[in-house]
Parts: sequence; C-alpha cells; structure tokens
Amino acid sequence: MALTGLQIYKLLPKTNCKECGVPTCLAFAMKLATKSAELSACPYVTEEAKNELEAASAPPVRLVSIGADGRKIEVGNETVLYRHDKTFYHQPGLVVRVKDTQSADEIKAVADAVCGYCVERVGLSLNVDGVAIENASGDTSAFAKAIEVVGSNANVALVLMSSVPATLDTVMPMVADRRPLLYAADAGNWQAMAEVARKYKSPLAVKVDCGDLSALATLTEDITKAGVTDLMLDPGTRSMVDSLQAMTKIRRLALRKNFRPLGFPMISFPGEGASSPLEEVAAASQHIAKYGGVIVLDHFDPTLIYPLLTLRQNIYTDPQKPIQVKPDVYPIHEPDANSPLLITTNFSLTYFTVAGEVEASGVPAWLLIADSEGLSVLTAWAAGKFDAEKIKKAVQTSGILDKIAHKRLIIPGYVAGMSGEIEEELPGWEIRVGPREAVDLSSYLKSLRS
Amino acid sequence: MDTRLPSGNGQVREARRCAVVFKPSGRVIEVPAGTLLLDAARQAGVSIETPCGGYGRCGRCRVLVESGDVARRDTYHLTADEVAQGHALACQTQVQGSLTVFVEPREAISRRYRPQEEARAAQIALPLDGSFICQPSLRKLHVAVEGPSMEDNTNDFDRLGRDLVREYGVPRLRADLPVLRTLAADVRSANWDVTAVVDDEEPQLPQQWEEEMGETGVHMEGPTRLLAVEPGDTTGRALGVAVDIGTTTVVVYLVNTANAQVLDTASAYNAQISCGDDVISRIIYSQRGDGLNHLRKLVTDTINGLLDELAKRNGIELRDIYEMSVAGNTTMTHLFLGLNPKYVREAPYIPTVNLPPAVLAADLGIPIHPQARVKCAPGVGSYVGGDITAGVLSSGMFRTDKLTLFIDVGTNGEIVLGNKEWLITCACSAGPAFEGGGVKDGMRAIPGAVQEVWINSETLEPTCRTIGDLPPQGICGSGLLGALAEMFISGIIDKGGRMRRDLDTPRVRIANNIAEYVLVKAGEQGAKRDIVLTEADINNLLRAKGAIYAGFSVLVRSVGLTMADVEQVMIAGAFGQHIHIEKAIQIGLLPDMPWDRIKYVGNSSALGAYFALVCREARAALQAVARKMTYLELSADNSFMDEYTRALFLPHTDINEFPSVGRLLEQTRQKGTAAVKA
Amino acid sequence: MPVTVETPTEKWAGKVREITLGATAAEGGTRTSTVTVGGEGTMPFLHFEGETPHRPVVAIEIYDIAPQDWSPILMDYWGDVVNDVVAWAKKAVELGADAIALTLRGAHPEVNDRSPEDSARVVKDVLAAVGVPLIVYGPGAPDKDNEVLVAVAEATAGERLALGLCEQNNYRTIAAACMGSGHIAVARAPIDVNIQKQLNILISDMGLPLDRILMDPTTGALGYGLEYTYSVMERLRLAALQGDAMTQQPMICTAGHEAWRAKESKVGEGVPEAWGDWKERGIAWETVTATSLIEAGADILVMRHPEAVAIVKKTIDQLVAK
Ligand code: SF4
Ligand code: FES
Repeated sequence: MALTGLQIYKLLPKTNCKECGVPTCLAFAMKLATKSAELSACPYVTEEAKNELEAASAPPVRLVSIGADGRKIEVGNETVLYRHDKTFYHQPGLVVRVKDTQSADEIKAVADAVCGYCVERVGLSLNVDGVAIENASGDTSAFAKAIEVVGSNANVALVLMSSVPATLDTVMPMVADRRPLLYAADAGNWQAMAEVARKYKSPLAVKVDCGDLSALATLTEDITKAGVTDLMLDPGTRSMVDSLQAMTKIRRLALRKNFRPLGFPMISFPGEGASSPLEEVAAASQHIAKYGGVIVLDHFDPTLIYPLLTLRQNIYTDPQKPIQVKPDVYPIHEPDANSPLLITTNFSLTYFTVAGEVEASGVPAWLLIADSEGLSVLTAWAAGKFDAEKIKKAVQTSGILDKIAHKRLIIPGYVAGMSGEIEEELPGWEIRVGPREAVDLSSYLKSLRS
Repeated sequence: MDTRLPSGNGQVREARRCAVVFKPSGRVIEVPAGTLLLDAARQAGVSIETPCGGYGRCGRCRVLVESGDVARRDTYHLTADEVAQGHALACQTQVQGSLTVFVEPREAISRRYRPQEEARAAQIALPLDGSFICQPSLRKLHVAVEGPSMEDNTNDFDRLGRDLVREYGVPRLRADLPVLRTLAADVRSANWDVTAVVDDEEPQLPQQWEEEMGETGVHMEGPTRLLAVEPGDTTGRALGVAVDIGTTTVVVYLVNTANAQVLDTASAYNAQISCGDDVISRIIYSQRGDGLNHLRKLVTDTINGLLDELAKRNGIELRDIYEMSVAGNTTMTHLFLGLNPKYVREAPYIPTVNLPPAVLAADLGIPIHPQARVKCAPGVGSYVGGDITAGVLSSGMFRTDKLTLFIDVGTNGEIVLGNKEWLITCACSAGPAFEGGGVKDGMRAIPGAVQEVWINSETLEPTCRTIGDLPPQGICGSGLLGALAEMFISGIIDKGGRMRRDLDTPRVRIANNIAEYVLVKAGEQGAKRDIVLTEADINNLLRAKGAIYAGFSVLVRSVGLTMADVEQVMIAGAFGQHIHIEKAIQIGLLPDMPWDRIKYVGNSSALGAYFALVCREARAALQAVARKMTYLELSADNSFMDEYTRALFLPHTDINEFPSVGRLLEQTRQKGTAAVKA
Repeated sequence: MPVTVETPTEKWAGKVREITLGATAAEGGTRTSTVTVGGEGTMPFLHFEGETPHRPVVAIEIYDIAPQDWSPILMDYWGDVVNDVVAWAKKAVELGADAIALTLRGAHPEVNDRSPEDSARVVKDVLAAVGVPLIVYGPGAPDKDNEVLVAVAEATAGERLALGLCEQNNYRTIAAACMGSGHIAVARAPIDVNIQKQLNILISDMGLPLDRILMDPTTGALGYGLEYTYSVMERLRLAALQGDAMTQQPMICTAGHEAWRAKESKVGEGVPEAWGDWKERGIAWETVTATSLIEAGADILVMRHPEAVAIVKKTIDQLVAK
C-alpha cells in the first residue's frame, strides 16, 4: 500500500537540512508520496527507513516493455482504476496483426502502412506501434518468411504469435534483439514457452480460456517461479462485455488487493469478437479506456486508426494538468472586420464559458485566446501570465490583425486595472473593459451593437 | 418535568388551561396547554425580542422558567446546566402546566450579548499556559556606576559595561557611533546614575523548545547593543511598538515592554489601497516608475500617522520608543523595507529575503528613537509571510500535540496545519470581502459597523447590531458573515447564492439590474442611508469562503489526513472583535465540528508581533517556525480548483460535510418558509 | 500450485435513479412506447457486481427547420426530410431511434424567430407523428429558450417530455415549467462534477422530484475534450453508487452534436491524408465518441448519423448481454 506524506515523514530525519533540494523533510516526504522524487536524494535516510519505503513503493502493475530502440511499447506501472484519481501513465500499444497465410505482398503492404503511418494532433505525432505476426499456417518456414518481410523493413515492435514453443525457438534468433512479445504460454505449453522467453530475454504473454482468472494466476505464478517476470495477460475473453469484466477484475485485483500474480499489463484482440471493422473500433476503444496494454487490431485503415489514436491520446492525457485550449483566434458567428474582439485566457473552462456566452448572444465576434498556461483569468493575472505583455503578444502574433479593421480590444472585467498598461503596450488601441462575469457578456455585446 | 416536544406541529391532546405568570411585570395569562411560551407572552403583552423570528436560531428569546412544567425542543443556545436551572427559549418551549416565568428586561439582555469590543487593549494578555515569559530583548537596566578615578581609569563604555555584566549578566556590550558620541556627556550629566537601554541582537530559543521542535537552526548567542543612556532610573517604562501591516489594514500596539502591558492601539486602512486592493496589484504598481518608492512611503506614512495618534493620546515622545516589531505578509514586508517584490509574483515565486535583518528606524523614516531597531517577522515564502509565522507563534500551535488547523482569513487567506512536530501551510487568494473590501457597503471593524445580523425567517425583517451601538455606516466582516448565513437560512438566497426574486418583502429589490437585500433602511437606527447586500457582494463572499474552505481541505488531504483528524481550529482575521462560529459553519467557511474545538484568535499577526516584542524567546521561535513550515503551492493544482467549486455553494456541495447545517435547514423547512409574491 | 482468485466485487450503497421518458395514454400522455433508463447498481456493465436493469438508449436528433450548419455528410444522408420535421421524425424512428431529440432551432431570434406558440405546435405535430418519447431543446438563446419551453411544456402537459436545457444561471423557469406539466428537466453543467451536483440540488430544492431530472454533463467530442466528459461521468457514477442522492440522475450526452462539430467530421478537403475517408471518418468519430461515453455511464445518447446509431446500438446489445 502506498504511504501518505506524513507516514513517510515519520521515517525521515526531520532536520530540514534542504540537501534533497526541497526546503523541508515534510515537503520531500510529500514528493515521495506522489512519486515525484527519488529516495536517494536524501543522504541521511536510515537503512530501516529505506527498506520500509522501498517495499511500500513497488509498482502494483509491472512495467513491461516490448521492442528495442526503434519503436518501443512500454506498458504497466499503472496506479489507479480511474484516470481522474491521478492519471493513466503508459498508453496501450496499438499493433496490427498479419498472418503467415497471407501473401508476402499483403504482409509487406500492412507492415509498410503501419510503419509509415503518422498523424499530427495537438502538436504531437501519433503512431501505430507494431505488427503482430501469427503463425496461422502452423508451418515454421512460412512463419519465418512472414517475420522476415515484416522485420526487414519495419522499425516497429513485434508480437510473435504461435502456440508451439519450438517454432518460436526456431524463429527467435532472427529478431531476438528486437525483444518481441511472445504469444502465448498456456496451461499446456508453459514450461517450454517460459524456457524460450528466458533464453531470449523476451516478454511473454500468458493466456487462458474465457476469463478463468484462477487459471491465469496459477500460470503466472508458475512462470514467474520459472524465472520469467516480464509477462502480459490474455484472459481469453473476446466479446466486449466479457473483456470489460475480465480486464476490470484483473486491474482491480492488482491495484486494490496488490495481487501480484495478476499484476501485469494485458493484451487483447478486439477484432475477434467483432463482425465489422467499425465494431472492432468500438471494441478497441473500450480496451483503450479500460485497461488494455497491447491491443491487437485485425484491420488497418487510416479512417479507423485515426479515431483510436485520438482516443488514446485523450484518455492518457494527465487530468491533473489544467485543461487548456489552443491559444488562437476563434471566430464566433462568422464575424467580419468590424466585429468586436474579446480576449481571455486559455484555461478551457474560461474558454468554454466565454465562447458559450458569446455564442448565445448571437453577436458575431472574434475571441482571442492568449496563452496563460491553462490558468483562469484571475489566477493567470496574479501569476503574471496574463499581463499587458502577454496580451500584446497575443494580439500581434495570432493573426487577428489581418482579420479586423479596427483597434478595439475588450478585456475581462477582472483585469480592468490593466487597461492603462495595455494601452501603453498597444499604442493606438482602445481598450474596453468587458463584464467580470461571462454571464453578462450577452447583454454587454448587445449593448455594443446598439 | 420537561418532556420533549414532538417535532413539527405536535398534537396537543387535551386542551388543559394553564395560568402563566410573567415576572417582573406580574402579568398573568391563561392559555391552553401546548401553547408556545412566546405566544403566551405576546398575549399577555410581555415583549420578548425575537430577532430570528422564533426559529430557535438566535437564542435571544431566552427566559427563566421559575416553576411549572414545560416541553422544550433541544437547543444549542442553552447548556445542560442552564436547562437544569430553568432557562428556556420562549420560541422553542410549550406551556405544559401553570408557570412562573421571569423575562429579563431588554437592557440586561443586550448587556449580556454585548461583545467585549469596549475592552480593547486590556484584552491582550499573555497566554496563560506560561509559554511566554516577559523577557523582552529590549531592556532598561539601571546602574549606579562608580565614577572614574586615577586608580580606576577604565574608559566610560567599559565602565558602564562592567556594571551591566556584574549586575545583569549582559554579555558583550556594543554600541554604535552616535551612542558613543554622547555617552561621555550622558553619564556625567546624570552623575553616573543612569539607565542603559539595551537590545539583544540575536534571539534566544529556550532549550526545552529546541528539544520539542528538533533541530531548528536558530543561533543561540549574540551580543547586546546599547541604544541609549537615560539619566536616573527609568526602568518602569520601556516603550516599544508592535505593528501588523496588513494588505488592507495596519494596526499598531503601543507596549510597555517592561511589564508587557499594551498601553493603547490604533488602526487605519493601509494607504497603499489607493494603488490596488491586493498584493498582486501592489506588486504591479511597484514596477511602474517610482512605484516602489511611492508604496513604501504610503505605508510608512500610515504607520507614522498611527504613531502620532498614539503619542498624542498617551502623552509620550516618539523618541522614547526603542523598538518596533513588525509582522506583515511577504509583499507588505518587501514594500515596507523597499525591497523589490517583482519576483514574489512571478513563478517560481521567490522573495528577496525570508528573514530580514533588524533595521535602524531612522533608515526607514520612522521617527521613533533613531537607534531603535525595526524587526520584521520572518516569512516562509512568497505567499506565506511573517504575518503567518507571527500567527502561528501567537496561536501556540507550534508547541501543541493536538493537530491544529490555523486559518487566517484575509485578502490572501493563509492556512497552516500541524502541531509541534510538523507544520504545513498554503495560501489561497480569498479577496478582501471579509475585511469589507469589494463589498458595496463593506467596512472595517470600527464603531458604526454592523457586526451582527439576524433575520426573521417569516417576515424577512433584519435585526442589526453595530460596534459601539452607533448609527450603522456599513458592514464589517463578522456582520457580512452573519448576514450571509441569515439570508441563506431564511431562504432569501438559494444555495448557489442567488437572491430569490419572488419573495414578498420590500427588503429584496432590484437596483441597477442587480438584486439586493436592504439590511438597514435610511433612518433605521439612525442610519444616514440604505445599507444593502447585493448579489455581487454575496458572490464575492462566497468566493472568499470557498477559497478558504478549499484551501484547508486540500491541505489536510495533502498529508493524507481527513478533516475528522483535526483536533482544533484557530481562526484569525480582521473580522472584528468576535465572530459567530455557528454562522461561519452555516455558510461553510469553517468545518462542521463541535464549536468548542474552534477558537477565534482575532488579529493573530499583530499579537505575534507583540509577543516577539515582549519576549525574545518568541522572536527566536518565529525563526524556528519559519524554517519548519512546509509550503504547499495550490495554484495550478486541479484538486484545489475542484475543492473550490465544491465549496462555492451554501454551505457546501456535499451537505454530508455539514450535518448540523443540514439539520437546521430541515427544521427551517418544516416550519415553512416566507411568503412568496402572488 | 493452483491459485484461487476471488472476484473483486465492490459493495455499493446506492444506485442510479430510474427515469421514464414519455407517458402512454394510460399514464396521461399519448406515447405508444416509453423509455426507462437508469437503475444501474454498478460501474458500467460489470454484471458480476450489480444490476443494469435498463439498456442505454439512443435518441436521434432532428431540427424543426433545415439545419444550416450541419456537416454535408449528414445532410446528404438525410436528404429532403430535413425540410419537413414530421417526415424527419418518422424516418428517424424507422432507422432505430428509441426517442426523438427535437431542437427548436427555428425559434432562435437570429434564425426564424418562430413564436413560442408556433414552436409548441411543431412539438405537437411531431408528437402526433411518432409514438416514441421526445426530448425537446430550446433554440439556444436563454430568454427565448425560457419562453419557448414554457409554451411547449404547457401545450404538452402530461407527455413526460424531457425539456432542456436548465443551466446554472438559467434553470428556474424551465424547471418550474416541468414541475407544472409533468415533464422532465435536462440539467446541463459545464463538464464539472460539482456544478452538476449543485444544479441538481438547486432544481430539486425548487420542488421538482429527483426522478424528473436528467443530467447532461456537457459532451466533449473525441479529440475535443472527450476525456474530461469521460472522467466527469465516471466520477458522477461513482458518487451515485457511493450513495450520493444528488448525483444519482441518469446521464444524457449529445454525442452527435459534438462529434459532428469536430473538424474531422465537418471538413472533407484540405485535411491530412492520414485522416482517411471523410464519410467513414465522420461516422467513426461519432461512433467512438458515443461508445466511449457509454463505457463512462451514459444512459441516453443523442446522435445524428443513423449508421453510427446502428453500430452504437449493436455495441449496447453486446454490453448488456449477460
Ligand atoms: S535531505 Fe533528507 S534530511 Fe535533509 S531536508 Fe531533505 S529529507 Fe530532510
Ligand atoms: S431563538 Fe427564539 S427567537 Fe430566536
């Protein structure tokens, strides 16, 4: 169980010597509690305290990584069931499955597409993470060929799917340095599978039928004892509702009960329970939100992958960070060169309330959003993040100057005191003071018009 | 025997007739059993004050049942003892048999409820637990020195020093040049019978505290400085001043450090207000042209004005004041000392100095003795300053085992949580509403300010009391708090703070598009104009209380505790002489806990400055406290925003955190609410 | 060594309140079918833990006038029916709508400024044409919303419509109208658990029974704040299960409106190739927005594209299956 700041504080020297880089031992303890500091930063902790603290901080879900330098999937280390409780840390890997029964061209096409796919969103480029190659033919050489096709041209993470340990043992030398995920050990083959995984130091997926979690836990216990600890779980559920329940149970047991045998990330196959690509997308979006670790898709189509990547980005956004909107010019009701210009900060709630009220007023207007690092008007103003300089910068760099023919700027009523300074920063501009509360915007804007 | 009243409209089975005798008037009335005592009194023509309208809230309808049977509802206004003696609230008590009832005359009641505002200076007393011994660093030491001779040709300074060591154990005496320049003349004109005015340079922390608080990093020993030599024995009076520089208000205590007595106090608005209401506006102002200098001058002028006032009133010379102890928030301290506060405001929020050195009064333009030192309480960081360390000091929380929550409700609300082992603190911007700022008819807690409000739940008519019982001029913090609570409980505003516009009362009206409640009409109680509370005012008050409640909620949680772990709450601030704890709970400013765990400590910052003035251990403790406090930054923390929104409701979004208020609302609802316009 | 795993079941103290939309003739209305939502005693679809007595439902959104600002993809799909609200409503029911969400856009002062009486008549026409329950939204201009919805409420008393939107600064009139004529209020808060709860309290303090308040947590579309809505909904559901009576209202989400406002679904040209095919993308955008909200606890989804509706209904089938 995680310790609270005070519990940790009791174990520290309490001398407030500041050597750890923060002003007091309590401050340091609180950082440890939120895992934003390393215990080693304090040179004076006793051995006992060290042991106690380390035992308490072992992650309940093991961090497992697949792949090598090029593209790597790192999943696990999650600490909460609901993202609002803290955040989800390691987004699931999205991989696309090919089968060795497909032609080399087909396989290559998918691998190329996956490898080359990249889409930009809110300043980040989103990618697909890897390719799963299934030994559907049952034939080792066909499998090897498929791996070669994928492996030779694609710098992506790999999942090798075969239930025959010997087959995997044969192909592994081709790609062992890329640390592929081996799929999968089951009740029948686990000893030999564990052997292969250990030999090549690869992560290993463990699979059971239809959500039998006791069987799954038994297997992972055995395999861990055999020396393989980088495991991934496939509870074997395929319909949406079964997956949801099994995956929720696994995550809850790991987090709430600190149940080590199920403290691993999960692998899932949304396409296997779906009858159309769009249904696969629906299932995959469930796995993104509900605890998926590696999600193996059966279709690759930009139209379908883009929403999933977007969803993944959304769900794995840190909810503790202030919600921001992009600093920009937002036209409302098709404003023209003479429409009023309002400015406010980029705290999303501020933006939504202001934009909502302007919209409701029916008055066409330009809404200029300044970069206040996600703070609301008053907080930003207090911290110097919404001052005359920032406002000047927003006016001059946002492109609004090309859109309007007047020099009138409406500022939020709460910062009325700044109007003088803004006038100095923006010579020739008329600074008008809008209402303090967004609710009053509508009547304010209408009064401007009349 | 007392029997419990059935809740709601209790059915009275038999309509027995009972005779009720009212004393001292001697009037008698016969009523059926089950009649409210209050109604019986009215029928008898005996007047009983009912400010809350007979809802059991205000406790002002208290009477003494000398004999006979009554049935009463529970009330927190009476202790078990008082009930046993026969005290009862007339509005909460039914006649059950023939009675004799004593109704206190009106004047007696108002005397009983008169807060102690008249007794000002006398109130300030050293804490009774003996934490602080009167041992000021400013001392006057009388010596009759043997004059020099050919045998004993020791120089003047050492000669004086020698006697001071011998008689008072003063270590390492030092003096500045101006003192030495007049020393020879001073001792000789007094014929070597002199009083040395000395000041310990370094604070001393008692061994015992050191052990309790762990390593504090505060130095123990230091030299003693000679400030002046006065002829004869003047040890009876060693004047010092304690100053609290608030963003809104400046308070000065004139103190005789020889016996720790507060001789007088004076206060005024900080003249810097003309340059902005809050610290941020002041910092911005300080960055323009000569702004910093101007602000420094304004606050110095304010202090000097108060000093003049005190000197005049007490017939003293300013030169006779030998020390000034100052507490202020970090920005106020910066501006007072002329330090640039620019980086206090900007992330990562760094003050120039947390522990300012002792400064010569003359260097700051303060016309007390030129050798007098001005000592500022040390701060923790940009948003937790010397005012808070001073508050923690005067509250004594740094020496208690009890988990204590200290709340200073000011323009910037600061909160400290902890005990003798650890202290954690945060600041939240509450706005000046509770100091009367940003509120249409708000004012400081000075005579003429409405400080107590009751609203009759049926008629929605208010009853107000002002400080000093003068004609009302405005509303001070405790009055605002009371008004907000009463408007809420009586249903004039909803839980979101919006005024009901459909109530049948002329007290609620719309002016300039904003709804307002008229607390005092021009002419009432001699008021010159209407005194109102607008919806906008209510919003400001809600924000202020929300920020503070959210601040301590987050603080308590940040260390993994819950509100239930808090053993005592100390609330400080410029509300006035007193606040109603129950009202503060009703609006959700304070946590809902037994009132005896909550204590109002008044202006704790000024008190801390005073303690540091009269007790050098206290000054040392200030430093230890400042070093010990851990500062938690709330800005840009989502959990604060979340708590804040939760707290922007009356009393709170989660009524489970305020069970007593929930019960009160339930009761009020059962009695029915005020009439709605047709 | 075999390990036995115990099912990690949470014991909840509360559940979501049940709300029925629409009233049949026997109940004082004219609906041929009604819709009951809510009643969940678990986080979404954890059947091992608690009941999900009613499946989430889909309402299809229509306007009283031809929409001016809808994506061409939507306009192409619906074709001519958008010019005839009655025909549109019927078509929507044919395509699987469990309820109709009618936005009285024509009453907006900046659009057609249709009178409250005429707007009420439109609602009556739609009621006459279809048998499913109705959700009616005002034009989106606070004062006019109030006038129009009061007229609608009176003209349709007893039908148990859902009327929206009640917002923090404008809830009294609509809530009062619901109270007097037996309708349900849709309470919308700006993606904020606390404000949502406060709004529920304020409305219920006015006297509207809690089984006649729906919560609209404000929907963020995929890529446009979906995660905030998602978390707010999870928090509301958790609070409801923990026994907080003031957050136990079923939730309604305007997935269609928001998803089709996104650039991804609105714009077909001048966008990155990696976005794929426009039409499919729009449908996928609405689908993913809607299914994610279902996973977060949505009870009613207001949607626009029937192909997305079909997938979403199939997803719901899967999720409620035991
Ligand atoms: S280094 Fe260690 S002892 Fe020093 S302040 Fe930090 S935690 Fe405390
Ligand atoms: S308590 Fe009886 S009148 Fe107020």
